[in-house]
Amino acid sequence: MSETLIRTENLKKHFPLTGGVFRKVIGKVHAVDGVNLEIKKGETLGVVGESGCGKTTLGRTILRLLDPTSGKIFFEDEDITEIKGRALRKVRMNMQIVFQDPMASLDPRVTIKNSVGEPLVVNGVARGRKMRDMVLELLEKVGLTEDHLNRFPHEFSGGQRQRICIARALALNPKFVVMDEPTSSTDVSVQAQTLNLMKDLQDEFDLTYMFISHNLSVVKHMSDRLTVMYLGKIAETTPYDIFRKPLHPYSFALVSAVPIPDPQFAGRAHILSGEVPSPISPPPGCRFYPRCMFAQDVCKVEDPPLRDLGGGHLVACHFAGELDFGKSAQMEYADSVEEAVS
Amino acid sequence: MTTADEIVLHVKDLYVSFYTYEGVVKALDGVIMFLRRGDTMGLVGETGCGKSVTAKAILGLVEAPGRIEGGKVIFFDKDAETQEITELDLAQLTSEEMLEIRGNKISIVFQDPATYPNPVFRIGDQIAEVIELHQDLSLDVLYMKIAKLELALSETNSDVNRAEIESKIAYYRQQMEDPPEPDKKSIKEAAKLKAIEMLRMVRMPAPEQVANQYPHELSGGMRQRALIAMSLACNPSILICDEATTALDVTVQAQVLKLLNQLKTEIGTSIIVITHDMGVVAETCEWVNVMYAGTSVESCATERLFTKPLHPYTAGLLKAVPKLHEDRERLPQIRGSVPNLISPPTGCRFHPRCDYATEICIETKPILEELEPRHWAACHHPLWTSGGKKNE
Ligand SMILES: Nc1ncnc2c1ncn2[C@@H]1O[C@H](COP(=O)(O)OP(=O)(O)O)[C@@H](O)[C@H]1O
Ligand SMILES: Nc1ncnc2c1ncn2[C@@H]1O[C@H](COP(=O)(O)OP(=O)(O)O)[C@@H](O)[C@H]1O
Ligand code: SF4
Ligand SMILES: [Mg+2]
Ligand SMILES: [Mg+2]
Repeated sequence: MSETLIRTENLKKHFPLTGGVFRKVIGKVHAVDGVNLEIKKGETLGVVGESGCGKTTLGRTILRLLDPTSGKIFFEDEDITEIKGRALRKVRMNMQIVFQDPMASLDPRVTIKNSVGEPLVVNGVARGRKMRDMVLELLEKVGLTEDHLNRFPHEFSGGQRQRICIARALALNPKFVVMDEPTSSTDVSVQAQTLNLMKDLQDEFDLTYMFISHNLSVVKHMSDRLTVMYLGKIAETTPYDIFRKPLHPYSFALVSAVPIPDPQFAGRAHILSGEVPSPISPPPGCRFYPRCMFAQDVCKVEDPPLRDLGGGHLVACHFAGELDFGKSAQMEYADSVEEAVS
Repeated sequence: MTTADEIVLHVKDLYVSFYTYEGVVKALDGVIMFLRRGDTMGLVGETGCGKSVTAKAILGLVEAPGRIEGGKVIFFDKDAETQEITELDLAQLTSEEMLEIRGNKISIVFQDPATYPNPVFRIGDQIAEVIELHQDLSLDVLYMKIAKLELALSETNSDVNRAEIESKIAYYRQQMEDPPEPDKKSIKEAAKLKAIEMLRMVRMPAPEQVANQYPHELSGGMRQRALIAMSLACNPSILICDEATTALDVTVQAQVLKLLNQLKTEIGTSIIVITHDMGVVAETCEWVNVMYAGTSVESCATERLFTKPLHPYTAGLLKAVPKLHEDRERLPQIRGSVPNLISPPTGCRFHPRCDYATEICIETKPILEELEPRHWAACHHPLWTSGGKKNE
């Protein structure tokens, strides 16, 4: 099972930054800035980080919806960085994306049948009666019924619309699906349904997921391995429970920022100061150093490489493994819960 | 919890409807809520359950096609000097009278820092304006004058000047018993200084500098801090934060929540924290009200809610949230989705999604009752009781 499905090599995506009256290029946004990652067949790689850290850009670049600035992308060991035309279309059938806002990704004037069936028709897989039957089967998989076939997006609740988008993403029987904040605009009760559904579908269709969210608890729940991004770079990738064993100071800060559902622990969290700097002129050296409480002189000048600290636990920090974060309030809370149970 | 002297706000059987093309949206269906003086209270529930409409009703901001159909919003207004309490039903006030209350006695911070009141004015000037409008600055002006003179005193080395300055200081000190009406220029100056003080109070880094900046020049977290400073500038009795941290990044949200906690111990303001996030409630609130589809379903101390929720909806909601410290293959889910409020379910609005529902739940709306000491819930079959049995 540990065969690699997706791999990136020093992947970069920069956006030109224009300004002034003549919209001249005055700089660039380092949205994704040298990402090395690997996603194994059948697993879910979670990607977490604060807004603007490059999660969406990374997902879209891997799917070739955006052209990379440099670096390489491999799908099943095939270099897909430069492919075009038919070859690209073929690879794209295997790679789909589900977005945060289902309303924006569904055409309001198109029936659900035609929305979900569109990729089948466009790619010449099925049309007419056969398309309808395939769409119905997909809708049933995501918990919708025959009644829904001829309805329009506005007739559905947010949660149902997200199911429709998931059904459409699965229409071509892809191997890889990027879930980009799929539940970030849904409510808790609907989120639980959607997350459960995505897990069921993954088992049923042997899917590999890249699951993107800014919500650490949600990502952790969904993922086999987790990648933490900060300002266009990977801070940490871990096969372990990030909550019990964060090795990057930023990961520890993310864990600490998760509100604890017990007022007895309120106000005990270690709180990171400052805000994420602009990706236009990221700080030299380690991108986290202006906010890092462990920063030393070397951090200001040298960009720490992503190092394997054992068992595939990759960390980009000069002092990874040597730092003592102490016990997070979240850990103390978890221990108190365990104690109460036993 | 019913003596007027403890309670600052009592929302009583509030009904609000919106008259739309599709039909009448019965947005609030008998909402009940108490806010104790000095408390921070959470108003929690999923999108569309009526949190913002409740806030709007409190502030007299329900506008067409919306209408308050019934109920009271009783505000116990305490005079700062005499400590005398006046009882006002905000639902009965005219829009002019409400203007007096809004941004004076009750103020609100919204979710989106982009909806800044005045994007073209400097932060400091905006806060100073609120201060000028709502605060008596005569004493502050005296303090300011004395401070200036004391500075001059420390800098002078002429004995003549010294005597002169000292006599001026003594003169102003005397006035402090009954400060005179200051001139306009001094008021403006004192308000500016006070604005910087407010920014310092919300832990704004470099407050003097930020006071001279425009809203768009600040990051999201700083803008939210400035908004909180502005909302507190009128010394309100009640501050309502409507999803005030929802748009912020997690690490910045943590900073702002910490600020709210610090502020509530420093100032006497009672706070209503509106959120869909139970974690935010746990971090900031002593008391919590849970809403579902326009109804109040549970009300109790925050600790109680997390350890012993009585309402099946609250219990389901708490279980459905993925938790960082847990390893679960599947999340316990609440089936179905929130109802359409044009034709809401009969009886208990939660009954179509509830595992405990019986005939009575379909027929009769449960009332919010004190089922255990200081713990209210609106359910025919509350959990932890003999009536609370799951239907198979
Ligand atoms: N099309 C674009 N043009 C210019 N800048 C962009 C574009 N898309 C994203 N960015 C910038 O790239 C950075 C990363 O954005 P994004 O990938 O959307 O982050 P995330 O999904 O983690 O919130 C941000 O600073 C964003 O403003
Ligand atoms: N201006 C309006 N017109 C019609 N319906 C409205 C209006 N404002 C609010 N509603 C309805 O009132 C209900 C409660 O909304 P709101 O208080 O905004 O919910 P939330 O709990 O998310 O803040 C929703 O069903 C919403 O559709
Ligand atoms: S048991 Fe009945 S009254 Fe209680 S929540 Fe369920 S449906 Fe409502
Ligand atoms: Mg994104
Ligand atoms: Mg709202």
